[in-house]
Amino acid sequence: MVTATVEAGRRHRSSFIARKTTRQAVLIWCFLAPSLLIFLLYRILPLAWNVILSFQAWSPLRPAVWIGFDNYDEMLTDEVFWQSLWNTLYIIGSAPIGIAIALALALLVNADIRGRDVYRTAIFLSYPLMTVAVAIIWRWMFDERVGLINYVARSLHLVDSPIQFLNSFTWALPSVIAANIWQMLGFYMIILLTGLQNIPGNLYEAAEIDGANAFRRFLRITLPLLKPSIFLCFVIGMLNSVTSFDLVYVMTGGGPGRATEILVTYIYKLGFVQTRFDYAAAVTVVFFIMLITIAWAANRFSGGNAGAVERD
Amino acid sequence: MDRRTVIKGGLAMAGVLAAPAYLRAQSNKKISMLTWNIADQEAYFKELFADFTKDNPGVEIEWLDKKGPELPAFYQTQLVAGTAPDIIDLQGMIWVEWAANGALLDMSPMLEKEPAVAKLYNPDYLSGFVYDKKQFAIPFYVAKTLLYYNKTMFKEAGLSGPPKSFDEIINFSQAMAKGEKTGFLTLNFDWLYWPLMRMNGVELLKPDMRTPAFNTPETAAVLDKLAKATASGGINKIAWTGRWVEPNGAFASGNVGMLQAHSASYFFVKGQGPWVNPDTLGATQAPGNWSTPTNHAFVISKSSKNPEVAWALIKHMTGNKWATKFALSRRILTGNVEADNTVLAKMKTEDPLAHAVLQTQIEHTDKMTGNWPLPNDAQVKDAFWPEIQNAVLGRKDSKTALADAERAVTRVMRRS
Repeated sequence: MVTATVEAGRRHRSSFIARKTTRQAVLIWCFLAPSLLIFLLYRILPLAWNVILSFQAWSPLRPAVWIGFDNYDEMLTDEVFWQSLWNTLYIIGSAPIGIAIALALALLVNADIRGRDVYRTAIFLSYPLMTVAVAIIWRWMFDERVGLINYVARSLHLVDSPIQFLNSFTWALPSVIAANIWQMLGFYMIILLTGLQNIPGNLYEAAEIDGANAFRRFLRITLPLLKPSIFLCFVIGMLNSVTSFDLVYVMTGGGPGRATEILVTYIYKLGFVQTRFDYAAAVTVVFFIMLITIAWAANRFSGGNAGAVERD
Repeated sequence: MDRRTVIKGGLAMAGVLAAPAYLRAQSNKKISMLTWNIADQEAYFKELFADFTKDNPGVEIEWLDKKGPELPAFYQTQLVAGTAPDIIDLQGMIWVEWAANGALLDMSPMLEKEPAVAKLYNPDYLSGFVYDKKQFAIPFYVAKTLLYYNKTMFKEAGLSGPPKSFDEIINFSQAMAKGEKTGFLTLNFDWLYWPLMRMNGVELLKPDMRTPAFNTPETAAVLDKLAKATASGGINKIAWTGRWVEPNGAFASGNVGMLQAHSASYFFVKGQGPWVNPDTLGATQAPGNWSTPTNHAFVISKSSKNPEVAWALIKHMTGNKWATKFALSRRILTGNVEADNTVLAKMKTEDPLAHAVLQTQIEHTDKMTGNWPLPNDAQVKDAFWPEIQNAVLGRKDSKTALADAERAVTRVMRRS
């Protein structure tokens, strides 16, 4: 009798817990639903439609026809695609240069110098600027007639005639990269500065007592402890580089020739200039796979838990 | 009140409420119009629409304006959504692709029904909007390339007058190149550089309009000359890399001898160049009188629910009265013969230099080039131009660049 009562009580309790869990789950789903719906509507569905489109011949002016892998086949022999891919990889590859400069600046403004807050603000200012504004500023900086860089170079007799930075096959891509690095510098610096300030001072004191010089302290303490901040800068820098459409579009439009064409500008031109949305979709799919691969590789390098929420 | 009475009353009420909307729908005709980067013309269009609706009561006009690069993208989204504007102002040759894909209304039957309307326009400009023997657009405002030259620089270089041949363009350019100064610039978008090719007998495509015709020793020779002149500073590199502001700005600085550009450039150059006056700036035809047009024209969407109203509005806008007003207020030509003659007569006394520039736009209109009715014009342009840049900027030798361009253009044509 007692056993039966205990059993009934246990059943009642477990069904109560189950009901409570279900209620909680429903509540959680209710709270999540609007965000998930928006995510589904504006991210997943367009992405799925984009994948389908990449297997079709379609434009707003023509009905869709299934063509299988034709768009992907075309990509293999499309020189512009490969050139854009290379240029994109070059820009991605420039992220470490920016991080290295930002690290040097962060070390400087972390030192006990007068007016360091002013320097920090001045360096950070480039980041909140609109990319289009940055592109316009740098376009004029590089201008051969009224540009500051040519003016300084000629005043110092470094060059005889102005360098046509954005009109030159040699200089155009490095010029765009320089502008991109400049814009991201403030962001990198703030992240690295935060990382530097989180390194306990007693580590440096102990190392100094042990006779480690400044370079060794930097190599053995600063760099290893800054690894998460550097990693964060690297991932964000890479993603920013591959999507720097507005910078390239305003500064050079992808030219001269295809010298600064990157995948995003090429995708835009295919879709909205050439009305080739189908082929643009195929290039987008490849671009998406490339981004996913980069993010996955970066996550692996960071130990496999990038973005994980730490629990107390 | 029983249930039946309530239902009857409800239905009656719904009928009363719905009737005005139905009647409104019957009496009102709403049309939309999309223009290309002329948002500053709001007052003009307001007045024009008021004048139109006075004679066409019950017509509602919705006016939209988009900046150049935004317009095609906007149109494409509207087309997919099934809400394409009834009337669209299009620039360059973009209309051909839309016409070839059945998005635009053939206006030939309307023009045949009203032969007097066709006579309003310059026949060469009007025929520039024919594809597959059908008239798809009516000129709104027109321009074609001409050769501007800096008389002061010509004098300094001992040159007596503008060049009469391609070789003279090259030689004159070299003669004026000195230090900061360069001899020649051209606009390059929308095939505006093509007169340089055409004056040398270069053709883009064979008469079948599918096979490349440009990969010839003659074209290679032209590219070699252009590359050589560019490398030596005779031709300013901006000619091959700039779009609008850069080449016009460079010429306005007074350090460039010649500029091949359309009439709109005059107002830009005049605004930026304090040196510009009839004694210092010359305007003439390019050698051989070749020019490339870059016109604006009105088209009607095939999906328009009120094509007859759209046609009436286009006639209204491009007719003598409103075309003249537009031409006078903007100091441009419209393709409407009477309007253009009026503005030219006014300019002759008010601004002789502007008159000289605009006069070139109605001369030799039979020698317009670079305006092929290609449904894949944007793709051909995009395949061809980077290789030409490679050649003239010395990145590839001209033969390799032409072979690569031929391969790229052939691929576009095959795909189409």
